[in-house]
Amino acid sequence: MKIMVCLKQVPHQDARLEIDSDGTWIKEDGIKFEINSYDTYALEEALRIKDAGEAEVVVVSIGPDRVTQALRTALGMGADRAVHVKDAAVDDSDSLGIAKVLAAVAKEESPDLVLMGLMADDGNFAAVGPMLAELMGIPSATAVVKAERAEGTVTCERELEGGALEVVELPTPALLAVQTGLNQVRYASLKGIMAAKKKPIDTKTAEDLGLTGQVGAAASKVKVEKIYVPPKGEGAEMIEGSTDEVVEKLLGKIKELGLL
Amino acid sequence: MGNVLIVAEIQKGKIREASYELASFASKLGKDVKSLVLGSGVAAEADAFAAKGGGEVLLVDDEAVANYNVDAWTRAIRAAVDATSPDVVLISNTPSGWDVAPRVAAALDAAFVSDCFGVESDGGNTVFLRRVFNGKLDARIAPSGDVAVATMQPGATPAFEGSTSGKVDKLDVSFDGLKAKFVEVREAEAKGVDLTKAEVIVSGGRGVGDPEKFQEVIQPLADALGGAMGASRPVVDAGWLPHEYQVGSSGQVVTPKLYIACGISGAIQHLVGMKASNFIIAINKDGDAPIFEVADLGVTADLFEVVPALTEAVKTAKG
Repeated sequence: MKIMVCLKQVPHQDARLEIDSDGTWIKEDGIKFEINSYDTYALEEALRIKDAGEAEVVVVSIGPDRVTQALRTALGMGADRAVHVKDAAVDDSDSLGIAKVLAAVAKEESPDLVLMGLMADDGNFAAVGPMLAELMGIPSATAVVKAERAEGTVTCERELEGGALEVVELPTPALLAVQTGLNQVRYASLKGIMAAKKKPIDTKTAEDLGLTGQVGAAASKVKVEKIYVPPKGEGAEMIEGSTDEVVEKLLGKIKELGLL
Repeated sequence: MGNVLIVAEIQKGKIREASYELASFASKLGKDVKSLVLGSGVAAEADAFAAKGGGEVLLVDDEAVANYNVDAWTRAIRAAVDATSPDVVLISNTPSGWDVAPRVAAALDAAFVSDCFGVESDGGNTVFLRRVFNGKLDARIAPSGDVAVATMQPGATPAFEGSTSGKVDKLDVSFDGLKAKFVEVREAEAKGVDLTKAEVIVSGGRGVGDPEKFQEVIQPLADALGGAMGASRPVVDAGWLPHEYQVGSSGQVVTPKLYIACGISGAIQHLVGMKASNFIIAINKDGDAPIFEVADLGVTADLFEVVPALTEAVKTAKG
């Protein structure tokens, strides 16, 4: 069986975010990037299926040169090969544009299972997974915290509110958008990293995928007018001073609340 | 003008509070309000919704939608869109809503915006407000095209109050050949750690660094205050603490007298679980962390300096 894992490279969770000059996104220069945390769980799940038997794991990512690093990491962890859609014509696509690119890759790959994270740590849209499934005409489940495969089906546990779970059975091919905590994600071993150097990364453009004019900024129906630091509102009263001074004030408040 | 279509959601036989919140959002758009109610044996709820913000309700009353099913919902919502030609479709960002909404948008080749906390009409154009970067920044988003599909964050606006002169019409949808199959819903198991009853909760996040530090730094302050220890999602995901310690939308929703957040940046899913606490103290190295937005008292500092010192001070004060 073939598993396609969609990865997004996003700004590192600890990166200091600064808004760019036109105020519609962040400055990407000089910050560290990493594989979207949700997607690492999707990759791990695919690698576990591979480890348990016969499966080929193909990782797919979209973005500029820096994305090669994310794909090398995924190959180092054990993925078999990678597809890198690298084309300025795809930049600034909305979620649906990204889903169209991935659907075009999926058409070439014909995977039995598509795995990806529930959402990305940057845009937080949680849109591409179900959109991709809709475009592929296959069933999907989101916020998956457990997946069990049987002949021709995959049974998923979806996370609901307050710790409840919904169990849903999907015929394969199917797409699962996974929740964090689904498994414990491995690190790439030194042997894996060395082996990854010989694994292929296939680079594609929008034109290669037959998507000229259908994706990118011009085709996007979602325009970010501006991004901004959330208004603090009343917010917290900030205490400053030495540790002793801070502790004294906190202690005073705890007493005032009648908790001492 | 134009129409806005609300997709209402049934939970345990009743229209969810979040659906009345959608009615509240919809009422601000200067559009005719249409709604879709889908479920099994929910005609009375459809009537109730029509009278309270839902406006003209289309009712899909079918055994096939007795429980959430992504394929059935996609079909029903598309049928409702065909019937009402809305320029905005509002769906709650609940586990059902976020599962189905992007599929509907893809099927309609429509603009899609998710988990919005606000929507406004800007000179006739609908504009959405939402968080990005896990709550660190906000974005103002303008959709284009014939129709925009949006999911709205539950709890972001009060539920619709007042009455509307609505009506209910049945909508027939064929549910033959659905691929996804609902199996069951498993309710949450009883927790070994019941944080909902604690008067004081001291919670740690990724900033605590490792599992040992929870026992060395966070637990002692919780003990000194006679309270309980909690954690944010990344801590539980990393396996540092079991799920029963998790505070947030997918963990426990808590309202203690005092909540102390240590090294927690404040992702939305955590804030939802603790923002109703009586008093919130936040200690974080990053002064811009969203946690300070909901905190009453904030300290920009290294938790490893402040927390142990506070623990000692509490112990001394207790004598």
